[in-house]
Amino acid sequence: MSPLAGETEAARLRRGDPGAFEELLARYQHRLYRYLLRFVRDGALAEDLFQQSWLRVVQRISQYDPRKNFEAWLFSVARNLAIDHLRRYRPESLDEPLPGDSFGEAAEPSRAARLAAGGPSALDRVLERERSEKLDAALGSLPVMYREVLSLRFEEEMKIEEIAGVLSVPLSTAKTRLRRGLEHLRQALEAHGSEEHWA
Amino acid sequence: MSEHGAIRELVALAAADALDDKERRQVEAHLRTCADCSAEVDRYRVLASGLRRLPTPQAPPLLVERTRQQIQLQLSAATERATSPWLLGFLALLSWTLTVASWPILRMLTQGVASWLDLSFRTTWMTLLIYTMAGWAMGGAVALAVAWRRASGRRAA
Repeated sequence: MSPLAGETEAARLRRGDPGAFEELLARYQHRLYRYLLRFVRDGALAEDLFQQSWLRVVQRISQYDPRKNFEAWLFSVARNLAIDHLRRYRPESLDEPLPGDSFGEAAEPSRAARLAAGGPSALDRVLERERSEKLDAALGSLPVMYREVLSLRFEEEMKIEEIAGVLSVPLSTAKTRLRRGLEHLRQALEAHGSEEHWA
Repeated sequence: MSEHGAIRELVALAAADALDDKERRQVEAHLRTCADCSAEVDRYRVLASGLRRLPTPQAPPLLVERTRQQIQLQLSAATERATSPWLLGFLALLSWTLTVASWPILRMLTQGVASWLDLSFRTTWMTLLIYTMAGWAMGGAVALAVAWRRASGRRAA
């Protein structure tokens, strides 16, 4: 990831260049959608928040400091909207796993799992998909505070300092959440006898 | 807390590449002598690798298109808002200039060249005032009609 990724386009967007928005949308559409989907675990809500996030970005682009990382700003805008929504409609989900997120009992594969990456053979693909489904389900069983930090670190490949910026928390808190998130994820997998399959 | 216990707290972060330089050096030194912690880091690395390989859900194309259209409307409206004051200022200036510039022509056409010599304050300037106000009223009506038409267009979109 380039350290300047998105910053140039964001500066152009500040000057009202519509082409800059097209480039930002093309660059971040899947990543932002994935982050929101991980965060709220609800496709329709993720779509709604996706639209709201971009609207908020355009409305508040003048508040963005071009010297800072645009990506972190974008994700923090989306996060704030998601938190506002959850606080208003599902306050319990900010601390506890969402109802129905019982890991290991998901009969239907998640949306993310259905889009499993290809492997060298049919068997490998099946096994890889099965592993992804288990990991995705285990991830979904975690409280949102751990889910988001794991997604930002491993899927978005953000540095821990950037994650702390997105979450608006001290670095030590971001580290603690990351460590606990990994520990909880491992426990969730171990509880279902899945962890050894990750080797 | 023993060194082993302190390092144990850091193994998950070590696998996530989230340690600062000092912590990383401490962990690396400890791992050279502790097979238990070393195996623990490996287990977390496998987990981290699995997380990195999770498939990326794609944003639905219709959602992206809808978002694009919504934002383009927003940007157009913002551009319009930004340019409107300048445009209005320019039109007002132009209108004033045209009014003043056309006044002698009107006088010439309606009352002949001799009227130039008519310096009666009341007659001349009151007529100019009425003439100007009529011009501005007409301009205002046109501006209102244009604004109404644009608003209708936005509602239809």
